[in-house]
Amino acid sequence: MGQTSNTLAAENSNVETKYVLSPVTDRVAKIREKYRTARPSICIARYKIVTEFYRENPQLQGILKRAENFRNICEKLPVLINEDEVIVGWQATQYRACALYPEISFGWFLDELAAGSIPKRDVDPYDIDEKDAGYILETGDFWRKECLSAKVDAYIPLGYFDAAGSGVTYFSSKNTCTSPVGHFVANFDKAIHKGFAAIKAEAKSKMDELEGVLFGDSVAEYNFYRAVTIVCDGMITLSKRYAAECARLAAKETDPERKKELEKMADCLSWIMENPCRTFQDALQCMFLYQIGLCLDGQQHGISFGRVDQYLGSYYEADIAAGRITHEKAQELLDLFYLKVAEMNKIWPYFATLSGPGYTSGQLMTIGGVTKDGKDATNAVSFMMLQSAGRLVLHDPPQSLRIHKGTPRELWEAAIETTQIAGGVPTFENDDVIIPALMDRGLPIESARNYCLIGCVEPQGCGDEWACPGGNGTESFFNLLGAFLLAINNGTNPMPGPDGKLGGQVGLPTGYLYEMGTFDEVLEATKKQMEYFVNWHVSLVNTWEYIASRHMQLPLLSATVDGCLESGKDVMNGGAKYNSTGNAGIAIGNIADSLAVVKYMIYDRKLVSARELYDAIISNWEGREELRQFILNEAPHYGNDSEYTDRFAKWASDVYGDAVNAATGPRSRYAAGLYPVTAHVLFGMMTAASPDGRKAGEPLSDGISPVQQMDKKGPTATLKSVSSIDQRKFSNGTLLNMKFHPTALRNETGKSKLIALIQTYFALGGMEMQFNIVSGKVLRQAQEKPGEYRDLVVRIAGFSAYFVELYKASQDDIIKRTELNL
Amino acid sequence: MQKEITGKVYDIQGFSVQDGPGIRTTVFMKGCPMRCPWCHSPESQEFHTQLLWMSMKCAGLDLCTKCLDACAKGAISPGRIKENAATQEAVRHIHIDRATCDNCGDCAEVCYRNALYMCGTDYTVEDLLDRVLKDKPFYEQSGGGVTISGGEPLSQPEFVLRLLERLKECGVHTAVDTTGYAKYDIVKMILPHTDLFLYDLKHMDSRRHKIMTGVPNELILENAQKIAEDGGKIQIRIPIIPDFNDSAGSIRETGAFCQSLGEAVTVIQLLPYHNLGVMKYERIDDSRLVLETAPPSDGKINSLKALLENMGLPVTVH
Repeated sequence: MGQTSNTLAAENSNVETKYVLSPVTDRVAKIREKYRTARPSICIARYKIVTEFYRENPQLQGILKRAENFRNICEKLPVLINEDEVIVGWQATQYRACALYPEISFGWFLDELAAGSIPKRDVDPYDIDEKDAGYILETGDFWRKECLSAKVDAYIPLGYFDAAGSGVTYFSSKNTCTSPVGHFVANFDKAIHKGFAAIKAEAKSKMDELEGVLFGDSVAEYNFYRAVTIVCDGMITLSKRYAAECARLAAKETDPERKKELEKMADCLSWIMENPCRTFQDALQCMFLYQIGLCLDGQQHGISFGRVDQYLGSYYEADIAAGRITHEKAQELLDLFYLKVAEMNKIWPYFATLSGPGYTSGQLMTIGGVTKDGKDATNAVSFMMLQSAGRLVLHDPPQSLRIHKGTPRELWEAAIETTQIAGGVPTFENDDVIIPALMDRGLPIESARNYCLIGCVEPQGCGDEWACPGGNGTESFFNLLGAFLLAINNGTNPMPGPDGKLGGQVGLPTGYLYEMGTFDEVLEATKKQMEYFVNWHVSLVNTWEYIASRHMQLPLLSATVDGCLESGKDVMNGGAKYNSTGNAGIAIGNIADSLAVVKYMIYDRKLVSARELYDAIISNWEGREELRQFILNEAPHYGNDSEYTDRFAKWASDVYGDAVNAATGPRSRYAAGLYPVTAHVLFGMMTAASPDGRKAGEPLSDGISPVQQMDKKGPTATLKSVSSIDQRKFSNGTLLNMKFHPTALRNETGKSKLIALIQTYFALGGMEMQFNIVSGKVLRQAQEKPGEYRDLVVRIAGFSAYFVELYKASQDDIIKRTELNL
Repeated sequence: MQKEITGKVYDIQGFSVQDGPGIRTTVFMKGCPMRCPWCHSPESQEFHTQLLWMSMKCAGLDLCTKCLDACAKGAISPGRIKENAATQEAVRHIHIDRATCDNCGDCAEVCYRNALYMCGTDYTVEDLLDRVLKDKPFYEQSGGGVTISGGEPLSQPEFVLRLLERLKECGVHTAVDTTGYAKYDIVKMILPHTDLFLYDLKHMDSRRHKIMTGVPNELILENAQKIAEDGGKIQIRIPIIPDFNDSAGSIRETGAFCQSLGEAVTVIQLLPYHNLGVMKYERIDDSRLVLETAPPSDGKINSLKALLENMGLPVTVH
């Protein structure tokens, strides 16, 4: 491990706790080192198989194409078993390599590849073999029109060509979708306890019932079942090919211990997938290989694991009771599983990398909470999961800890201990707010209690809901500040486009700030503009879904998700038992401050005329530094437990949330959220100066946090302020990031106080909270000497990452966030 | 009509977690009878509201002369050209003639960057109460409350007494962080409303105490004994100041005194000297001799901790 984690460990060494991190085994340490030193690369194996399949099978369309494509991958993709591995499965042919998914969107990749920029990126570079690059450039143009993004582009509503470029929604009028729908969780319980042979048999019997009587809509149903049988075959085939490879390696292995281990792996892999799992190792391997299958089919993008401790707990206990495994051995298996998940990554467009850096794949795991009947769900595996993250100092996979009134003290303490080492892991989630919020959106109580977190912070029924929390693709983000700026600028974006020219009338003509006689008029204009753009945003997401549900069905996922086999529909077509579509508002802090500043400066204190303030922001504060400083220092700001500003955070979030929650998609209603991942940095670059003193291009505020450095009264005041938002309304998740110095938790009382801080926030109605526990000084040192801080994990919004791998603007943003020093 | 009592407060800090149990809000009262050279809050010492100047926030006279123009007494004049620590640009600083300045606040009023600001706000008991009760949910969850610190809170006895009474009426745990340098009558008055005293002991030798802090220690030690006798709870705080009280002998004497207080002492906190407050002297243009030395080593602090623990005393280090 690098210097930083040692430094952190040293700082924490005087911590007395019942929860102790035990050292990892030698081979785990070896794999971890390999993980931290291997440079990610691009593997074209999947690309080749899929490209050939698509070119040879234009006659196949829709769900059968997706199913056959998956089975074909399972039959042909080389199986890779690395040295020392026990949990196996991979999407590529080299260690830490990423596979390619041309079916979704490929133009950006071809362009970056042709430019030769991919290995030279300043953030998330990937190596690629020259011959492989040549092959892709020769064959890739096929995908420019075949990929989903191109198909969506063809269906963009005509009116949107005027509304695009507003800086409010994420969509443009072409190349709109660089990512798949992602953001889902399978029903792992079914894969583990039932197996794919039984699932296939169920689908087959449904087919038999329909055979020869395909009346009405039943052709679609019939072919859905047919697709399920195909992907079940694929999944079983993949597992058996891994089993065969283990047997082959076992036969030539000279170390008797490893030989035995490989034989056991072969036995496990030839049994699982087809049959119900027997042991802890079976269940763990089944979970991971199914996940690999889901990624091979749907591309990894916020594909989450759900309630891992709930799947594995009973297997662990049975194995321990029967003497089949020791605790240490089980922990090592879990470590190895974590390292496999950590190894996974996907290449993003450079532009999107700025928003989601750090080779992250968002395969969130959920710990703790309550069971379906409301009892505490903590088990031995809950602790083991925290142990793995802590002792491996891993930022990926991310983990969320569900908190309820009966969460055991030991689990609290283990979580605080872990977050101290692997900053931001786990996040803390409040059952008392999330369960009712999910019931509000239609889940029955048992299902709501069984929720897990998806992607970044999005709550969803575990295995029975298609909540689409990323809003189809990555396009869930909505810039509240952008809507406000258009509202006071007659519906035009004050920020020039990349060509340096100002855009035209993209929003409603709501007038100019200096024409508004009262503050109520400002609010009215903001509300109109916000609702107008929410409606456009929903229109675009629905358009996306209209196309995706015809071309990118997810039969492998639908094979387990509750409701699909019953209804004969895949998840993309409304087959899941429960449905919704997510959205995520950003810049709450900026819009609250901007509204408060406008009210305070123009209408209440009359310190400046509306025309003066308008001119100041349109000119990006040129020559108005004095005014800007006055606003930063003297005007009211959200985050200080003051009603004057906090009511605008509530007002703006209500307007946005109510509009989103009232919208409908083809399957069901929409669900609002308030989290940015790092879109607040990206959107900030596209957002003009704002009345709160922010200059054009600067990052927006993060999640529901106050504007950076504007929370001047400490964390309790911040928490009171953010509690003014009606968080239950945001069932797609809220995000609050707080940063503490490591000194904050130096002793037991420090830890108890942090626990009490979270508990109070949750009692006040807070939904989610996460921490960075590092000092600003350490972060600045890390910027200067990245080599010495390889292991420094920080939490950026929805996920944790290695600090030194972040884009400079994200690094600066993290440093800038007010440090909460104790 | 009788004028409502006000207290002069120089800071209010939320999520204060080192000034007593649980999550607390600490109210810092302005004014102190002592002048300890290691004081990290020099702005807390005077009893009147003071003008402070933070050079880092100042735009420099080339960009802004508002304070110069606003000062009717002519107390502000152009100063030296120095580097701004935040922007690393050389700017012309201001010079405040403290003899002429009467802390009227006119310059702070016009300073839009808050580089000039007034330290010391008069609060009524009810206004201050409203402010600190905002965090009541945190006190209740964590077993915390409100700590009244300073300066020296016992130097504003009427206000502090009333505030403590009101806090207790509202069911809030109270702590008073004091030097102990006050008449016992005052201490006795607040004792029934004070759940915990955070009580500074700096040195057992009264002569040395007086040389360093400006006052002898007899009254302080006597008050501690009386609090113990009258049933108060005391958390002893010992600032560890290099070459002043950091010898084993000195700490052993203080430990022995703590032993003599018996059950009243809940814990002894060692507060190692730090020099983070040195920069604050510049803000009040205080040119007095400030103790600027290296903080004591961890090894030193641990050995002093062990020494007190061997005497059977509970010790924590902050």
